Amino acid sequence: MNPATGYAATISSVDVVAPALRRFVVSRTKGAFPAISPGSHGVFAFGNGQRTWKNAYSIVNRSEDGRALEIIVRRAEPTRGGSDFLYRHGGPGLNVSVLGISNLFPIVRTGRRHIMISAGIGITPFLSYMTEMRKDGMDYALHHYTRPEEADAFRAMLSPCDPSRVRVHEGRQEAVASLRMLLAREPVASHLYVCGPGGFMEWVRQTAATVGYAATKIHSERFISPAGGRVFEVMLARSGKTITVGADETLLEALENAGIDAPCLCRGGACGMCRVGVINGRPDHRDHVLTGAERDSGDVMLTCVSRSLSPTLTLDL
Amino acid sequence: MSIDTRFRSAGSYRAPYHMENSDAAILRFPFPFPEDHYMYSMNIEPHVKAGAVDSLRRTFDVDEHYVVECREKARILSEDPGRCIVLPHMRAAEWDFVELAMGSLSEDYPDLFHLSRDGTRWRWINRPLNIDQHFVFGDAGTLPYAPFEFMARQMQGDFTLQDQRDNDLWMDGGMVTSQADWSLKFDLGMSFGQWHAPVPKAGEMGIFDRGLRFLLMLQHGRPVRRLNWTMTVNPRLDTSPENFTIWGRDRAGVTGDNARDLVHLRVELQALFRLPRSNAILFAVRCYLLPLRDIALVHKWRIRLHRVLRDLDPALSAYKGLDLYRAHAVHYLARFDNNEPTSKGIGPDQDALVRT
Repeated sequence: MNPATGYAATISSVDVVAPALRRFVVSRTKGAFPAISPGSHGVFAFGNGQRTWKNAYSIVNRSEDGRALEIIVRRAEPTRGGSDFLYRHGGPGLNVSVLGISNLFPIVRTGRRHIMISAGIGITPFLSYMTEMRKDGMDYALHHYTRPEEADAFRAMLSPCDPSRVRVHEGRQEAVASLRMLLAREPVASHLYVCGPGGFMEWVRQTAATVGYAATKIHSERFISPAGGRVFEVMLARSGKTITVGADETLLEALENAGIDAPCLCRGGACGMCRVGVINGRPDHRDHVLTGAERDSGDVMLTCVSRSLSPTLTLDL
Repeated sequence: MSIDTRFRSAGSYRAPYHMENSDAAILRFPFPFPEDHYMYSMNIEPHVKAGAVDSLRRTFDVDEHYVVECREKARILSEDPGRCIVLPHMRAAEWDFVELAMGSLSEDYPDLFHLSRDGTRWRWINRPLNIDQHFVFGDAGTLPYAPFEFMARQMQGDFTLQDQRDNDLWMDGGMVTSQADWSLKFDLGMSFGQWHAPVPKAGEMGIFDRGLRFLLMLQHGRPVRRLNWTMTVNPRLDTSPENFTIWGRDRAGVTGDNARDLVHLRVELQALFRLPRSNAILFAVRCYLLPLRDIALVHKWRIRLHRVLRDLDPALSAYKGLDLYRAHAVHYLARFDNNEPTSKGIGPDQDALVRT
């Protein structure tokens, strides 16, 4: 694999899982994708000629021969457009390169029992978890929360799974009623994994803490779909360059478009690889990585999701 | 070159010691000092197939000592099977290791190693060790040893497997037979901070925090490497705590006269790989030993090693166990140092050796 261009592939099939959900199979033209650990995400690059997007999606499945990866994409608000573009225009034949595959949300293999709680599109990492858990004879259970109109779609998606281990809960009312009880019923050795919208994950985490889960037994992956915002200027102290970050691009994308070799990995505010020093200006932190103290100090930021509160930022780049 | 002449067939890494290096082996030695002074640093670089010396240019380096080293490893394992331990939750990592090792060895040395794959039915040929093994990838019952042990026995150097959980790395498996005074039995199950606890200074310098943060983000297909070093008396690979009673006293036997033959610069080429199935990290520690008399054949290296040892921080000297004989090594090397400036980097700056 060439780290700059990644694994070349094309979309080989698309199917409609629910009105707002599409499943894409991305196949290599030659060779295979590497083996993948459950919970991995890939950074997928695709575009329309005018614009390239690089978005992270959980890998739901890798085919036995390694030629194909499967992802599920929810139509997003077209603020930056990556998922929206894929949802609308991602059809067979579209070129997609997989720039890198990494895992920020692995199964804790020393765990004796694993309980997975997901909402909506947050199901995706757990589809790969369950393949492995079934194969390895691990003890697990999945509780999936969905809005009623998508319940049938998720039931269909989960139909190959062992019905005694999987449960679909419909609507907010049932969520509130069931979660506390099912978490409290778990043995003390269980590891809890949460994936879904930010507010949902926070609610699950708090509920788990209330019924006595140790923080080290609660695992989550908090990807952020980078949102746009006000236009701002960035001055690069080392190279002396000044660049403008547009309303619908991220700071990281603006750096890359200007030919700056900026570090990055997950592109979703989850890993911390893209942290850079801030020399001047006030960053608008939108990540889940920096500590409170780092945030308050204002001298470091993550370029993939964060923006600026001041009209200009000076970075140590 | 035929296999018979490429590899040494005789040599001994235990008393009576007997280990020699060809000129080519000396010139490809991964000399660890890019400058005349040494202090800890985050000296990590991408493990690409390039580098100032030849030993850095393959995923796993195989040199003229391969056959004798593998034989020594087998002997240590037969005396102490506990040198290879892999915890049960690292099963996927074992197969990751098999795939990485067989794939890269057969690619880097097609005349020595061969791998053919037909789905999960694999065939592995190791010509120097006379191994021709058919097996089913993923089925441990089709190999004569557990998968990790099967392959680690056929490679020079030590290997450990680190599980990643709770934002930390845990040493949950390995095969360790050529170590600089640490023990897998002792460190097994420890976290990154725990197994590094005995190292002086580096912790307070923030090196372990930065190192761990970096490694947690290590990506598959983008391995990294660093060189580490210490010194060893006699060409002994197995300087283990388990066998301290055998080798420990040798350190008191160094004199001004014998330092050139007894004192060896011990360099570890450490490479780290993200393993794709398990999300574990493989830590490969390849050990190179070169006596001072061989280092003295390279003009730049003998001057630099003199300056590094002479000015070494006392805490590092004590930690590396050099206090009993460092002065003798410095005394021997001082004769080569005429105060001339040296070039940056680790390369030998010469293509051939002049043996007088």
